[in-house]
This record gives sequence, C-alpha cells and structure tokens, in this order.
Amino acid sequence: MKRANKLYWILPLLLVSFLSSCKKDTDFIYGVTDVNVQKPDANKPNVKTTFTFISIAYSDLFGANISQTQLVEIQTAYVAFGDQRLIEQMIIKNFLNDGGADIPTQTEMSANVQQFIKDSYVKFFNRLPNEFELWHIENEVAGDNTITPELVYFAMMTSNEYRYY
Amino acid sequence: MQRRGFIKKAALATAGAFAAPYILPSGRLFAATGSRIANHVVMCLFAGGVRNFESMQKAEGNLMPFSLTGNESINPQIIGGMDALPTPTGQRLQQQGTLFKEFRFNLGPTGHFSGHSTALTGQYNLADINIKQRPAYPTLFEYYRKHNSPSMSALNAWWVANALGPYPALNFSQYPGYGAEFGANFIQPGSIISVPGYNALGDPKSFSTTELDKVKNLRQFMDNNFSSNYTPGDAGITNNEADALQIENYINNAFDEAVAGQYDDPWGVGNSMNGDMYNVFFAEQIIKEFKPELTVVNMQDIDVCHANFTGYCNNIRKADYALWHLWQTIQATPGMANDTILIAVPEHGRNETPNTIVDAYGKYALDHTSDEVSRQIFCLVVGPPDKVVQNRVVSTVTGESIDTVPTIAKILGFQNDIPGGMLSGTSLDQAFV
Repeated sequence: MKRANKLYWILPLLLVSFLSSCKKDTDFIYGVTDVNVQKPDANKPNVKTTFTFISIAYSDLFGANISQTQLVEIQTAYVAFGDQRLIEQMIIKNFLNDGGADIPTQTEMSANVQQFIKDSYVKFFNRLPNEFELWHIENEVAGDNTITPELVYFAMMTSNEYRYY
Repeated sequence: MQRRGFIKKAALATAGAFAAPYILPSGRLFAATGSRIANHVVMCLFAGGVRNFESMQKAEGNLMPFSLTGNESINPQIIGGMDALPTPTGQRLQQQGTLFKEFRFNLGPTGHFSGHSTALTGQYNLADINIKQRPAYPTLFEYYRKHNSPSMSALNAWWVANALGPYPALNFSQYPGYGAEFGANFIQPGSIISVPGYNALGDPKSFSTTELDKVKNLRQFMDNNFSSNYTPGDAGITNNEADALQIENYINNAFDEAVAGQYDDPWGVGNSMNGDMYNVFFAEQIIKEFKPELTVVNMQDIDVCHANFTGYCNNIRKADYALWHLWQTIQATPGMANDTILIAVPEHGRNETPNTIVDAYGKYALDHTSDEVSRQIFCLVVGPPDKVVQNRVVSTVTGESIDTVPTIAKILGFQNDIPGGMLSGTSLDQAFV
C-alpha cells in the first residue's frame, strides 16, 4: 500500500520532466542589430584589370557605359606606359575635365557634407564610410572651402582602394 | 702528430681564405667596387631579325652606310625599292667603336620576344615561353636599379618599345627579390603620342600645386585605411611623386608639340620616316629630357622580310640611319655627350633558305626558324675614345646575346654586385680601353 502511494508522486514528476525536456529553446531578442565587424577594406582582394578600371571609372563619373571606341583608345594608352598609377591619374584628370562628368557643385557639397561623403564612398568604394572616415573627411572638407568636389573625387579615384574590387 | 699537423694546416688555410680577397696585386687592401666605364648606356635592339648576309656581309650592297665603312653599291635589282635617305658624312659608327661581326644568338627559339627577352635578361629561353608572363629572370633594369649604388629612381631606366603585345612585360621580371620595385619606365610612344592617345590623355583637368597637396592628404588618409589587401607593385612600376610629375609634364608637352606639327617630319626625311625611326626619335626625346643612365630602345620594321625582302633591305637602311641619328643626339645632349656607350645588336637573324613569297623586285622572303644562319648576328659597341676601342673589327666568332647584360653591368659599375650564378654571359671586354 505504501509502495503504491509513492508511485502516485513519481509519475507526475516524470511526466513534467519529459515534457520540459522536449521544449524548444527560447530566442530572446534584445533589440540590438547583429553587426559583422571587419576592416573597411575587407573583401577587396583583386586588382581591377585595365578594362575594368576604365569602364568603372567612366560609368562612375558619367553614369553611362563607355563606348567601345573610347575604351580601346584609353586602354591602348593605359598599357603603353609602365607606371599605371601615373596613367590612371592622367585618365581620371581627363574624365574630370569633360563637361559631361556628373560632379556635384561646391554648393551641393557644402549643403550637406556628410551626405556628399557617404554618396561618394558608395559610388567609388561600394561601401559606406565608417564613423572615423566620415568624421575625418568631413572635418577636412568643412574646414577648408578650397576643397572642391573634383578634388575629393580625384583623391578617391586615384586611391589604392579604387584599384581593387 | 698527424692531427696537430692537420689543425695547423686548416688554421692557415682559413686565415688565407679570409685574407686573400683583400690583398690585390695592386697592393690595395680592398677591391674598388662601383667603378664605371661610362655613366650612361643606350642599348638599341636593331631587331626584327637581321641576317648577317645583308648586314655584315653586304650581300645586297652596303645597306648600313652610317654604321659600316665601305661604298658597296646597292644591288640594282632592289634599288627601285629604296626610299631616299640622307647621305652619310663623317666617321661611320664602326670607326667610333668595336664591331663584333660574328656575334651569336646561340640558344632558344629565334623569335622576336625570345630574342628581346634574352637581350634584356642575359638568359636564353630554353623552356616554353609564355608571352603573357613577365620574364622568369631579372631584367637588366632590375639588376641596375637593385645593385647600382647609390640606387637610382626609375627616371634613370627606360624601355622604349616599338610595339605593345608582350613587350610591356619586359620592364621587370617575376623573379623573387626583384620585380616592379626595381623596374624601368616602359613606354610605347606610338600608342601614347598619337591621336587615340591624345583623345585619352590630352585634355586633362589642371590642378594647382596647392590643390594637388590637398588631394595627396585625402588620398593618404584613404590609403592608410586600405592596407590589408594592397599589394605593392600592383600597378607596375611606381615613380616617386616628383618623377611622376616630370613624366606627366613631358607627355603633356609632347602632345602640345605633336599638335603643333613638330612631329610630322622631325628628321626632315619626308615620307621615308617609318615606325622604327619614330621610335628612336621618341627615345631621343626621352634622352634629352631625362638623361637616363640606362635606356633600351628597339626597332622591328625590318621584320617585313617575312613577305617583302626588298622592304626588309630598305628598313635595314632606315634602322641604320636611325642608329646614327640616335648617336648624334646623344653626342649633342649635355650630360650624355662623351659619357655614353651605345650598343646596337639584333635580337636574332633570319633563315638561310627563303620561303615561297616573292616581292615586286623578284626577291624571295625570309623567315626565322632557328636554323644556324638565323643565329648569326652582329654587335656594335660605340663610345668615346677614352672608353671604347675605336675602329676595331672582331671577325672571329666572339660574343653572344647573353653577354650584353653583363657588359652593361660592367660599364655602369655594378657587375660585381650581382649575386654569383645569376648571369652566365661575360662582358665584351675587347671593346673597352
């Protein structure tokens, strides 16, 4: 009789234990967005080919695809000199001097320097600037009214990061 | 006793090994390193495949009257295919130096790139050549920039090529420890100083020095934030800032001069001006502008011989005139005059047996497929009388294509600084005083 009473207690405990062990883990959400932390230059291990560099530079500045004739002309000049960085600078200078290049005005840049920097980073580096980059370049641009959008574009398009994808 | 004797001998031998290199017959304690024969070298690859029959042996007459003595008249059969050129006056080039009439391209395929690569690396190409790759061994330019002391910027080393294709790859190698850092400035002027080149580069945005400083600051900040993926040399050789500006100004000035018509007939030879002559003309401009210590320029229009023997002979004459003109420019350039040695050498010859193509003058064309005759070339070393033996002709088989690199290393004084075993050629000492 005593043994039967003990079983009445044990059975419900086993049942509760079994049910709780099959319960799924609860995902707690604390309202914080997951962020992958990596250096800003991560995931750009490849150097652009001459063809890619010219095509991308053209479309970045003119918002259109470069014509085949122009591509061949520029590519020929590009490979005809051994210091490609020097030739890239010359190519970009020619693009910047073309009236068809889509470059913000000084007024547009000054109206919202942060936005200009963000837009430029996305346009040329395919990413947003990190907080330090944003702060530093904003300081440079806002603190010196002789820095024009052309100068910022020229710096970005002749930087190391622009040569990689 | 035997052991003690051995130790004594070993000790003496060790002491001798340390002492010997420092005691020279002259009585000096240390060997002079870096002594130069001249401070500038220009190597002209008289290329495109020149057969000794037509050059040294004058089988069609003296086609190289600016370089070679002799008044052998040109074969009447082909005279109608010869363009007008100035008449040589004064000393011929061979009288101003040493001519190796039986030079050899001993090994490897007699192909243009193979020949150029051999002349520029001092190594024959005995394995398959991948023309899309840079040379496996260091180039002359890298030896110069790495081992010359003091080390010189790339403004002192130029490779002026007549064509693109694989030739841009010859300004530095993929050899570990050498590479872009020690490479030469490569230029193919015909593709830059041209209408397409002008369209691409001729109308730049001008920035003031102050503006360029601001660009530099911004770019430096961006480059500092992009470091982990960056590979030095990813954009070929890199000139320092000041040199790059000089080169950019030179190119922009060249555009201005071309637009002004100054390049239409720069040597006053009318329609006779061919691509080789233009390439040498641009090399002259570079020599005048930068006075490099080491310049290599090539010519290859001679290669029309695959289909036009008479055109080949005509272009040998033009290459000969261009070589003479190059020497005159060197001698008229302050800083280069009397301090430059000019070396002219074909990259290989042409076959003994012609192919089946006949030109308008009834002459059969010639290819170059590694027969013995296609390995027979010449080498002409021209220089001031106090540096180069004058009017010497070496008619026996002497010297080969891999000898030009050690020869230039000797002229510029860095031959002893090149690690042992890197070069198998020897310098052409017979040419030097």
